[in-house]
Amino acid sequence: MKTRWLKTVSKYTWIGYTAARSELTYSAANLSRIIFMTTVLYVFMRLWSVVYDGKGVESLGGLTEKQMLWYLVATESIIMSMPRLWYEVDQDVRTGALAVQLIRPLSYTAAQFGRSSGERLVRFTMNFVMGSLVASLFAGPIAFSAAGLSMFVLVLPMAFIIDFFGAMLVGLCAFWLESTQGIALIYSRLMMLLGGLMVPLEVYPDSVQPILRALPFAAILNAPGRMLVAPESARFVQCLELQAVCLVVYGFAVFAMHRYALRRVFVNGG
Amino acid sequence: MFGALADYLYLAAAYVRFNLKAHLEYRGAFISQVVSMFINDGAWVFFWILFFRRFPVLHGWTVTDVIALWAVVTAGFGLAFGIMGNAFQLAASIAQGEIDVWLLQPRAVLPHMLLGRSAPSAWGDALFGFVVYLGFVRPDLMHAVVFVFMSLIVAVVFIGFAVLCGSLSFFIGHAGALADQWRNALISFSTYPPTLFQGAVKVLLYTAIPAGFVSYLPVETLRSMSPLDALMCVGGAFLVLAAGVGAFYGGLRRYESGNLVSMNG
Repeated sequence: MKTRWLKTVSKYTWIGYTAARSELTYSAANLSRIIFMTTVLYVFMRLWSVVYDGKGVESLGGLTEKQMLWYLVATESIIMSMPRLWYEVDQDVRTGALAVQLIRPLSYTAAQFGRSSGERLVRFTMNFVMGSLVASLFAGPIAFSAAGLSMFVLVLPMAFIIDFFGAMLVGLCAFWLESTQGIALIYSRLMMLLGGLMVPLEVYPDSVQPILRALPFAAILNAPGRMLVAPESARFVQCLELQAVCLVVYGFAVFAMHRYALRRVFVNGG
Repeated sequence: MFGALADYLYLAAAYVRFNLKAHLEYRGAFISQVVSMFINDGAWVFFWILFFRRFPVLHGWTVTDVIALWAVVTAGFGLAFGIMGNAFQLAASIAQGEIDVWLLQPRAVLPHMLLGRSAPSAWGDALFGFVVYLGFVRPDLMHAVVFVFMSLIVAVVFIGFAVLCGSLSFFIGHAGALADQWRNALISFSTYPPTLFQGAVKVLLYTAIPAGFVSYLPVETLRSMSPLDALMCVGGAFLVLAAGVGAFYGGLRRYESGNLVSMNG
């Protein structure tokens, strides 16, 4: 029983490993992503610098100017590391490639998870290293604690899994919609606005903060960002609770939607 | 000369009509892309409204200025790529030797090729720009006229810049990723208040990444209604366009066919 379970895990780990190696070969794409991230970080560094100077305050939402830039390094690295999974699922459904995937001795969702995790790991590492260099150069380093880094490392994989489920849900909409591009765009904007991509949730008005903190977007972006720059035990527990709930709800939604969608697959041969 | 210009405007109108008809064959996908782009732009403006509620003034810029900036950029971008959507694919088409089909047509290669496709989501941008400017800024007739004029000028900058970036493929081979990044940098910088940037970066924003001509000067023109600012916008736009056209026709001499059998339809 144990051997079977290990074989299953190693199968999908191998898919992730090959995806990671493949990702490393596309140096032009990696370089262009790094350049784009540097540009975005520069723009936001200027924006927050003007805001801190204009307000004449030391901290906003509990973060100093340096911490704010490092928070952006974490959130931008997360968002820019996500492969276009929804597009791949959309294309599999639309072109019929899904039928070929389904006859393999693999779970379609698990294989997508292995592949996207492998790609994401490479992208995130590159983005984070480059972002850290930019932040160190423009703003200077901040004091990291071992406890804080541990919290960040624990919260991060959970954020990736929830994000994967979200992208999978968007991609599976291809079974019902002519194009999922629109819904993917709206989903990513919701993530940007409500997840705290550019502005930590603590900077939002007090009245909306409890709502934003309860959304899955916060579990993907704000939670890891906050753990990196301003870790607190109480908030860490809250983050884990939210992530656990999101995992269960999103996971069940993907499972149910996938099963329901497969009933709509018709194979006509050819 | 005016006859030739009128002739090309007629051709552009015909292509817009045909491209829209082609999009409407997949009505659901087209409408969803337009609506989602509208919502996407709306999300950014919503972000700025929230931002300015918390931090009311940014080096002299107010929320109305930022809304005007988003309106003019999105309207210009939408018009540019809604009408000349092939500008997006220019780098890839050149690298893959796919422009033979346009070389055989009895029209100038560049404008004809650019008109050949329309980016569906760009219509959402164009719609957003005009609706937001009229709805939020509530301009008088004179401002509305200048806004339409500025949108056209911004569209010229976007097209000129896209042609310049895409034409890199003539010189360095596959320049798709580089062209995308350069274009993205223009969009990134042009959607933030210019007062954030100083010194060498500001020089860069009027040269290598001409965000100054896409958003800062047009918004300044709308604020001041100064003919001098408007003239600078027009001058900058046609300079970028001339650079793009020069790079394209200069590079076309180096073009090698991909010997592909292709057809437009």
